[in-house]
Amino acid sequence: MRSSAARSRNRFILLMLTPATVLLAGLTLIPFVVSVGFSLTNYSLTAPNDIAFVGLGNYIALFSSSEFWNAAWITVLFTVIAVGLQLVLGVGIAALLHHETRAVSALRLIYLLPMAITPVAAVFTFRMMFNPTLGVFNYMLKTVGLPAQDWLGSPTMALVSLILVDSWQWTPFILLIAAGGLAALDEEPLEAARMDGAGPLAIFFQHTLPMLFPYLAVAIVFRSIDAFKTFDIIFVLTNGGPGVATRTLNLLAYKQGIEFLSMGYAAAIAIVMLIVTIVASQLFLRRVDLFKPKAAL
Amino acid sequence: MAEITMTSPAARVNLRPLSPATRLSRAAAPWLRRLILWAFAIWCLFPIYWLASMSLKRQVDAMARTPRFLFQPIWDNYLAVISAGDIWSYFGSSLIVALATTAVALALGIPTAYVLARYRFRGNADYGFWILSTRMTPPVAMLIPFFVLYVRTGLMDTYPGLVIAHVAINLSIVVWLMKGFFEDLPSELEEAAFMDGATYFQAFRQICLPVALPGIAAVAILSFLFSWNEFLFSLVLTNEIRTVPVGLYSFVGYQQVRWGELSASAVLMLVPVLAFVFIFQKQLVRGLTMGATK
Repeated sequence: MRSSAARSRNRFILLMLTPATVLLAGLTLIPFVVSVGFSLTNYSLTAPNDIAFVGLGNYIALFSSSEFWNAAWITVLFTVIAVGLQLVLGVGIAALLHHETRAVSALRLIYLLPMAITPVAAVFTFRMMFNPTLGVFNYMLKTVGLPAQDWLGSPTMALVSLILVDSWQWTPFILLIAAGGLAALDEEPLEAARMDGAGPLAIFFQHTLPMLFPYLAVAIVFRSIDAFKTFDIIFVLTNGGPGVATRTLNLLAYKQGIEFLSMGYAAAIAIVMLIVTIVASQLFLRRVDLFKPKAAL
Repeated sequence: MAEITMTSPAARVNLRPLSPATRLSRAAAPWLRRLILWAFAIWCLFPIYWLASMSLKRQVDAMARTPRFLFQPIWDNYLAVISAGDIWSYFGSSLIVALATTAVALALGIPTAYVLARYRFRGNADYGFWILSTRMTPPVAMLIPFFVLYVRTGLMDTYPGLVIAHVAINLSIVVWLMKGFFEDLPSELEEAAFMDGATYFQAFRQICLPVALPGIAAVAILSFLFSWNEFLFSLVLTNEIRTVPVGLYSFVGYQQVRWGELSASAVLMLVPVLAFVFIFQKQLVRGLTMGATK
């Protein structure tokens, strides 16, 4: 009796899981295996029949090329600065929003917009605004007496501009998660600290921030992984330029694979990115208790 | 917050006389806070405002050396874009791809999400992690094999081809978010159904699914939005079938300086997105933050 009930329960679970599992495995695991396979060959779509096994040749070429290390450095720089900036801004504004009483829902609605609107449309708008002679940003700088910038033309400013656009789009992500976390916090320890005469800043750094950490950890991991593979913004705004100043690993893989059709080499870059991502997410996400079913049947 | 402290009896005991400087800073604090919050709101809105204003400018106003904040608005850019007609085919393609993607991703994702949320089985947590990790995969790692496969099998530049790719990207998000919605339902729902002799499947299909409809609607909107906004796969895997973002990108390439018409196209492609944001704000917050806020 018992075992037949268990059997029908297991059959139900299996049946419900199978369709998505088969599809996801087919669409993600198989491409992964194929990518690993490609990365060990000199496969190129310019000479598709002339394929040879080269072992770790692509990886050796990759790790000894300066373009790879340059791209890796830019990717790290972009990810760390962008996410750091978004974290500070997002948490700060969330803390202010938490105490606000007027027009909160209007503010939340506005904050939602950058994240939701089509990235290509937003990036196109920034391209107009960054224009050195006709753009509104330089006009504003000149109005307040600051020197005009070559937003997308100089190597340093191009990276700064990309970080600016990415932060415009994604600060609200951290803001909303932090705001959600603040709303769910237990107010009692904060109240107790206030009784003891602690100032608002001391309370925030010593009590609120540590309690908020589980939420922020999730936000940081998601955001870092997404920033690491940013494509739309960079492709439309600078296409990796000027020169290779903003060419991230993602852009490099795209160039090698889709433009130069060297599938083996591009696959090697993609695999390196994948390994970095998996290691990072295993290290951080595993610690967050997101994966246990809450009400178990 | 300050009000609560003042009125709670325990606080009153502890209340010390305030110096004038403290009192001034207490009074200024709400205004400073409001100033910062609205400054950030303006920063969020400004590009959207600028795009909309560009779309209503004549070429001379759009190309003015001193950007014009006041100008005679015209609808010519919209008329030009609409009568040129390309945008309708972009809208059509995007609509087909986004609707088909959403339907497939929901049909496959909901059962999985339900079991992950409700049933304890060996490897549940690992399975959940695997689903989420597919969301983490850098797109180029999928793109390269997809590209080669599509070139070789003729799926290149077809609707099914692009839909398959979009489902691959969206399925993990659908499962992950639906799992959160199912977890919010009380487990008494199914327990009562089992008492009445329902099978596992009946409990899911007839009891839980109807209750989870608001969640399903939210996830559907989000999946639609992600597919509508998706750029990289649409760019690489299609040629003739252009979705809206790819269409806009091709405009940017060909008509570098016609800012007015480009802006009008961009505004048109944002219309459905903005409509969704205004109508489904609350559900979108949860979806866009990957379920981290409830």
